[in-house]
Amino acid sequence: MTAAPQPRRVAVTGIGVVTPLGVGRETFWRALLAGESGIAPVTSFDTSRFKVHLGAEVRGFDAAPWCRKLRPEELGRASQMAVAAARMALADAGLAPETLDPERTGVAMGTTSGEPLEIEQFNDTFFGAGRDALDGALATRYPCHRIPGQVAAELGFAGVNVMLPNACAAGNYAVAFARDALRGGRADVMLAGGADSFSRITYTGFARLGAITTDCCAPFDGERKGMVPGEGAGVLVLETLEGARARGARIYAEVVGYGLSCDAHHMTASHPEGEGPARAMAQALADAGLAPEDVDYISAHGTGTPTNDKLETLAVKRAFGDVAKRVPMSSVKSMLGHTMGAASALEAAVCCLAIADGRVPPTINYRHPDPECDLDYVPNEAREVPVRVAMNNAYAFGGANASVLFAAAAE
Amino acid sequence: MSDMRRVVVTGVGVLSPLGDSAAALHRALCEGSSHLAPVEGFAVEGLPTNRAVELRGFDPARYLGEANFRPLDRTGLLAACAARLALDDAGWTGDAVMQGELALLVGTMFGSVRTIAEFDRRGLEAGPLYVKPFDFANSVINAAAGQTAIWHHLRGPNSTVSAGTASGVQAIALGADLVAEGRVEVAIAGGAEELCWESFVAFSRAGMVANGDGTPRPFDVRRSGFALGEGAAFLVLESAEGAAARGARVLAEVLGHGAAFDPSQGSDEKSGAAAVARAVKLALAHAGLQAEDVSAVSAAASGHPRADAAEARGLATALGMSVATVGVTAPKGAFGECLGASGALQAAALVAAMEAGELPGTAGFTAAAPGFPLWSISTTPAPLDLAVGLVDGVGLDGPCCALLLGRSWT
Amino acid sequence: MTGSLNGGTVTAKGFQMAVIDDDGIRDKVKRIIFNVTRIPVEKIGDDASFRQDLELDSLSLLEIGVDLDYEFQLGLEDLEQRLGDLPTVGDVVGFVRQRLAERAVA
Repeated sequence: MTAAPQPRRVAVTGIGVVTPLGVGRETFWRALLAGESGIAPVTSFDTSRFKVHLGAEVRGFDAAPWCRKLRPEELGRASQMAVAAARMALADAGLAPETLDPERTGVAMGTTSGEPLEIEQFNDTFFGAGRDALDGALATRYPCHRIPGQVAAELGFAGVNVMLPNACAAGNYAVAFARDALRGGRADVMLAGGADSFSRITYTGFARLGAITTDCCAPFDGERKGMVPGEGAGVLVLETLEGARARGARIYAEVVGYGLSCDAHHMTASHPEGEGPARAMAQALADAGLAPEDVDYISAHGTGTPTNDKLETLAVKRAFGDVAKRVPMSSVKSMLGHTMGAASALEAAVCCLAIADGRVPPTINYRHPDPECDLDYVPNEAREVPVRVAMNNAYAFGGANASVLFAAAAE
Repeated sequence: MSDMRRVVVTGVGVLSPLGDSAAALHRALCEGSSHLAPVEGFAVEGLPTNRAVELRGFDPARYLGEANFRPLDRTGLLAACAARLALDDAGWTGDAVMQGELALLVGTMFGSVRTIAEFDRRGLEAGPLYVKPFDFANSVINAAAGQTAIWHHLRGPNSTVSAGTASGVQAIALGADLVAEGRVEVAIAGGAEELCWESFVAFSRAGMVANGDGTPRPFDVRRSGFALGEGAAFLVLESAEGAAARGARVLAEVLGHGAAFDPSQGSDEKSGAAAVARAVKLALAHAGLQAEDVSAVSAAASGHPRADAAEARGLATALGMSVATVGVTAPKGAFGECLGASGALQAAALVAAMEAGELPGTAGFTAAAPGFPLWSISTTPAPLDLAVGLVDGVGLDGPCCALLLGRSWT
Repeated sequence: MTGSLNGGTVTAKGFQMAVIDDDGIRDKVKRIIFNVTRIPVEKIGDDASFRQDLELDSLSLLEIGVDLDYEFQLGLEDLEQRLGDLPTVGDVVGFVRQRLAERAVA
């Protein structure tokens, strides 16, 4: 392979979000800092046969204003939300898509389920009109690579295009991939993020595992009862730091490192000692050349299930040692629910905003201390705190762990 | 990056109806026998064809030993078995794997659309209380990657890679980057895809499956669609120094790769051809090679009318004058369109072809249309000094990825 | 319409199950455990504990629970909690017997 120059530095210059707390960066950040909740009884399907009813749906979302080239009705819901978030992110970055070199602009996205509503439609048709009425949508609309594909098609981007469907850590994997594509000179601008749509499939599964809370989502709380399935999309604009500075762009943060690992332990249960997540955190720090005491904020995976939050706390202590108790660590899933494939992308946006704004969002619904969860979870109230370095942690079904480090862009 | 490491292939694992090793796959491709047959795994009714290239009699115990396979679905088993074969082929076993942090990159288009659909049907029919927990664990698209990592203790970066029918090539490219950049010492990269009723119905109804007797004819003037196939293949990638240090046999070198996207998502042949050409040119630039250095191409052509045409045009553009001499084979004429596994199977077969010094023919191909931009599509196996091979991954709706493999220099 | 597709067929079960004795229940319970774990029925002791003796994880246990609930139509809304109170094969057999008896009376 040919020798390339020194790796380029990578900046985040745009943020676009479609979330249960609203659409767009400003609405999202204001709501998170105010400790608002996007969790409510499910409306998109009938939950009367379930003993749980809470969900974090994106309500009243209309893809039409965001689709200028594509026809929104031809896109799955996750693709629609991804396209909207991508357009928002570019606008936020002050970039008009038509001014970018299409061949040097790529898209990396993550998801848990892709377009699960297409499978539901397939089965509904099968049980309703019968097998002769089945169409080809599972081959054309369903495959998860259509999500980054539709984003690129809408915006006219012809660079590298990939879906990394690594479940609830997928957004972090996409950011890591995009960073390497920029560093290695394979692209000049990358859109990176994640998207997922609410579905009865996901909901039924988590309900059967007994993972969904019956009242509120209270990560790290002593009486936490579980998580809340959600949906949404988050997209970041990544570009070279040099390019961003040259054009005078607002720089939220620099992507300074990442760590990826696999528990190789169990499909749905975390390693009992938090070994894999701790390894991902340590690798991210090593990749960035940073020490635990350099980290000012951690965006937790923090689903709100009894096991996750306990093991995550253990893993952070394992990676950070004595420093762990001094680092504010909050879970925005207390407000957004678990937006699945969008989650770590939205949480990456939270890290960038915390760095740019000097405030960190709270973990809401925190009332009862848990001796096994004894870190600083920023309970209930946002906090003003200078954030130079933020770590975004995400863990997935299948044991995939991903930690990404963001930092204020220094000279 | 100035300290980029050379990446070599030290092992190949293949699970295909054509054989369960790279050498067997290569031999079957050279023999040209057809594995297209009526599907036995599920009932096909009311569709234009009932034929596919199906893996029959698949017994995971043959590869993984006697064990409880119930928590895995078919895609997970295909991946776990092919990964086992790749690790064994590379001599990575036991403690070395346990202690290492091997990366795993699994290209797939669907993961298992069957598992997800069955999970949902069970909920609809029996009620939400009776959905199967095992199925839900496998309903995530990265389930096969997770299951394979658990089975073989692969504790490094673990990623599923979806780029349509280019997934397998893209997964190998990502694995090569992780090794080249020094993030990992070893990456197992490839793809896995099952044949199932859901995708069979969908591709048939979408009009993409070959009509008549279902025979796929890549690049041929009479092509009408592809035959669906299934299987899995993985390459074991490691740094040249690492491989040398442990005395590993080197099968091939990853010379470079390139990726591009067709923003028309397959609807415009010219735009599609441009994406194919760009991916190949990027791969050549990455490898520091010229078009005339390429001795053979394993094409993505499956028999899909538009995609094959775009690929031919794109290859012709990227290869320039050497299009007249470079050998082109399209193995999907034999193993079918294996979706996310296709690119990995192409790469595995090409590694074996390099070693054998023989390029297989293209099953189903007889003649191209007048003026077709590719001139040297192989019809019968031919001896060839294969120094540099191109694996072409072309999506039906946009993603393209090209990979250059070099023959082992030892 | 039946979903007879890929061997994953689901057939609705009725409630007109014949009264079965303890041995019948035990056999069925062990058969279900075998289907999930591939542990031969003869190696599943009457009072084997799921966690220690059979070394099952919570997902496998839940899979068994769903199959049991479906087989005997127990309608357990709180299955995942209840499994924790039934640590052995014998406990499950006793529980199923009790539920079937209650239903016969009702």
